[in-house]
Amino acid sequence: MRRTYLGEFEEVVLLMVAILDGEGYGVTISEALEAHTGRIVTFGTVHNTLIRLEEKGFVSSELGGATAERGGRRKRLFRITALGSRALQEIQQLRQNLWQLLPPDTLRLGGI
Amino acid sequence: MKSPVRPPRWAQWLLIRLHPDNTLEEVAGDLDELYTYWYKRSGKTQATLRYILNVVSVLPPFVRRRKTNKQYQQPERRTTSNITSIMIRNYLKIAYRNLKRQKVSTSINIVGLAIGLATCILITLYVQDELSYDRYNEKADRIFRVGFKLRLNGEDVSGPITGPNVARDLQREFPEVLKATRLLRGSEFVSYGTSSFKEDNLLFADSTFFDVFTIPFLKGNPKQALTEPNTLVLTEETARKYFGNQDPIGKVLLFGNEQTPHRITGVVRNVPENAHFRFNMLASLPGYDEQHIGWLYNINYYTYLVLPEKYDYRQLEAKISRLGEKEMGSEVQQFLQLSPKQFREKGDDFGIFLQPLTDIHLRSPFGGTELSPGGNILYVYVLTAIAVFMLLIACVNFMNLSTATAARRSREVGVRKVLGSVKGQLQQQFLIESVLLAIAALLVGLLVVGFALPFFNQLTGKALTLRLLTNGYVIAGLVAGTVLVGLLAGSYPAFYLSSFKPVLVLKGRITTGRNSFNLRSGLVVFQFFITISMIIATVTADRQLRYMRTQKVGFNREQVLVIHDTHMLHNNEAVFRDKIIQSPQVIMGSISGQVPVGNSAIDNTPVMSRENPSKGVMSRFYKVDEAYIPTLGMRLVQGRNFSKNSPTDSFAVILNETAVRALGWQQHPIGRELIGHVDDNGVKTYYRVIGVVSDFHFESLRQKIGPLVMFFGRNSGNILVKTRTDKVPQLLASLKQQWQSFSPAAPFSYSFLNDRFEHVYLSEQKIEQVLTLFSSLTIFIACLGLFGLTTYTAEQRTKEIGVRKVLGASVSSVVALLSKDFLKLIVIALMLASPIAGWCMNQWLKGFAYKITIDWWIFALAGLLAVGIALLTVSFQSIKAALTNPIKSLRSE
Repeated sequence: MRRTYLGEFEEVVLLMVAILDGEGYGVTISEALEAHTGRIVTFGTVHNTLIRLEEKGFVSSELGGATAERGGRRKRLFRITALGSRALQEIQQLRQNLWQLLPPDTLRLGGI
Repeated sequence: MKSPVRPPRWAQWLLIRLHPDNTLEEVAGDLDELYTYWYKRSGKTQATLRYILNVVSVLPPFVRRRKTNKQYQQPERRTTSNITSIMIRNYLKIAYRNLKRQKVSTSINIVGLAIGLATCILITLYVQDELSYDRYNEKADRIFRVGFKLRLNGEDVSGPITGPNVARDLQREFPEVLKATRLLRGSEFVSYGTSSFKEDNLLFADSTFFDVFTIPFLKGNPKQALTEPNTLVLTEETARKYFGNQDPIGKVLLFGNEQTPHRITGVVRNVPENAHFRFNMLASLPGYDEQHIGWLYNINYYTYLVLPEKYDYRQLEAKISRLGEKEMGSEVQQFLQLSPKQFREKGDDFGIFLQPLTDIHLRSPFGGTELSPGGNILYVYVLTAIAVFMLLIACVNFMNLSTATAARRSREVGVRKVLGSVKGQLQQQFLIESVLLAIAALLVGLLVVGFALPFFNQLTGKALTLRLLTNGYVIAGLVAGTVLVGLLAGSYPAFYLSSFKPVLVLKGRITTGRNSFNLRSGLVVFQFFITISMIIATVTADRQLRYMRTQKVGFNREQVLVIHDTHMLHNNEAVFRDKIIQSPQVIMGSISGQVPVGNSAIDNTPVMSRENPSKGVMSRFYKVDEAYIPTLGMRLVQGRNFSKNSPTDSFAVILNETAVRALGWQQHPIGRELIGHVDDNGVKTYYRVIGVVSDFHFESLRQKIGPLVMFFGRNSGNILVKTRTDKVPQLLASLKQQWQSFSPAAPFSYSFLNDRFEHVYLSEQKIEQVLTLFSSLTIFIACLGLFGLTTYTAEQRTKEIGVRKVLGASVSSVVALLSKDFLKLIVIALMLASPIAGWCMNQWLKGFAYKITIDWWIFALAGLLAVGIALLTVSFQSIKAALTNPIKSLRSE
């Protein structure tokens, strides 16, 4: 199968799902995004990204955990799949490999 | 939750309306939660603003639609969806190759199904036509005919007719009767200039005729046509007959001997074929008879009523009955000196009834009294049943053959399965194949219908066309029906074939075991059941018909010529008769209005014996001359014939044997006296019996012979001529010449008694022909099926036969082996069919007063025939199998 492309925002959301470890749903993911990256994104963006990730098979979801605060509506809780974690690891690996290839001074010089 | 912490309602409403349903729950919940969070952190305005922004972000077109679970959890499955054009193309190709390879079974299948379908289509056309009678009338559902019920001396003489005043009385009494019209049958000699025709298809009608029946005018005004006395409306065809291309409006036709002028006031379209009455001319009916009230007087009028829409005619029937009770009751009182109660106590009855127009053709019990001979709903049912059975048999064959040929294709199924075909795909493949075959059969069937239609029309006396088949709905229905037949017929093989276990099949162990044999033998039994029933029905109908034809009718109908309308010669009638009997080719000639073939039973008159004047015997009156009995070769049992030389003979009668029995004169009837006539003043006229003639059938054999009284006297109408020649054309030519020498108003016309006799049994004859046709078709289709099946069995048992032959079996024992199974099935079918068919035919025979009995040999014959045909079919294949060299069948293993 063709390797699925994972966008930058998708990667961050996927990571959030992984971090929240089964507790991730629309609200927690949006809040975590805001808290950790300082980015304010619309809920629709997060929602769409989650659906896209699910379509690609990186996360799975189930309904559950209704509270009074939500008017008795259930949450859609997301969990990372094996495919998702492998994709994350591959990205991590790729980055690491690339970092290894970086000549020691380049970044510092360029950085100044 | 406190009330302020709630997002704006309109935004929520928007969300609910527009967000995709399958993610609405979690999104709405999430947004509510977020709203609370924002509210706590930055206040109401901020929260509301952010809420609205976020709601918009999850509205179309920004939102992604969630697909259903299954599809994206296994995305790789999507590429192998069940139907793809490639697979279908492959199925078609394989189907084509298979059909081409197995030419025999393919053609058997197609021909069988095509004949089944063709029969079905033909019968549908026929039935459709039968059911469409009188539907051409716009008010067809609202038109009803009035008839009377009358049981007199135990005999039912009801008819669909009434007295002339019923129409007027009903219209006067009941507001529900919107329109009423009367029809009266007529027959006249009509002349225009030098041409003269006898118009048998003449009806007299009220001017309201065109308000009731929908027959469009081509010329003239429907409102004014027939309003004046002595006016006429012609049909297109008749107008052309008399006037060619001239305009007939205002022209005058002369009626009868009196040359009464009739003015033409309109020309209408020809009456449709599917109408219960047809006419060439409509003449205006004289007004209502004011002298006679009452309903039973002059019962000759067909009365039709138009009722309001959606009106239950039974309601009116009840009301009319009440009125009828009064009207007819007083008449019964007047004529018979019996109160209605006494009349009923005698076991007799009278009454009035309504009959829906659309029932007249198929459901009217008054055959002879109808304006034209009707159909019979029974025959419609029988034909429909035949159509269904034919189609069923064809389908059964189809299933049988496809299942049987399954073995040949088991290897293909095995390979397909190994290569990953699932059951569904295989089923699809076989279903597509059978639908393909069915459609091919439909095309062939339509061709057959096209060719067979003229013959079928001839057989049934109808003018069916294929026009019905050009209707879009009918085409769609046919195609849908055919596809359905294909699916049904293909379903068993499809499921059977697709259930093969690939391993077993590829190993060569084909599971065509006994279990599938049960179904197949059931199907064989079923179709032979139908076949044998049809044979029994055909043989019975044929025998009944033969019986009626050869039945001693009691008079000699050979070489008797009937010259019609001789009363048009007036006083010259006898002169003409005397002239023609001088010819050496003529033995005898009798002037008589009564031809003893196919009259209706309605004009019976009571006669009483002198000893017992209260007991009337309903009898038919014949008025004959002295030559009548010898001309028709009737046998005098006792006494003598009338004689010109005996002056007292004008008060003499000759009875038939039935009349003698009915009057109770078994001993010495000669010389007794009966009351033949009572005039209005109660003066009785006595007649002396001088002879007894042996019973003869003066109606059709459907009816029992009734009492008959012959009077001596002049009765013009026809001349019956007994001839002794085979040079008929010359005789006819000379007769015509002599006829014209009297220059009568009527043209010379004649018939042979024999032909007229045949004509009476036309409908039975047609039924027999139709039955013969369909039973031979059924037999043919059944044989096709059997042939296919034997081919298959023989093929299945090739090795067995080979081994048997090597071990010393003879050809005959092998043939017996192969035929035995089928014979058993046919015997079972015979046992099932005999009682059922026997019962049905008994029901049919009940309609005849003189009938055959169904003997056991008919069943034996049907069985033998079926067995014989089956054996012939089977033996063709089994002998071939038995003669094969065993080396050929055994060498490949």
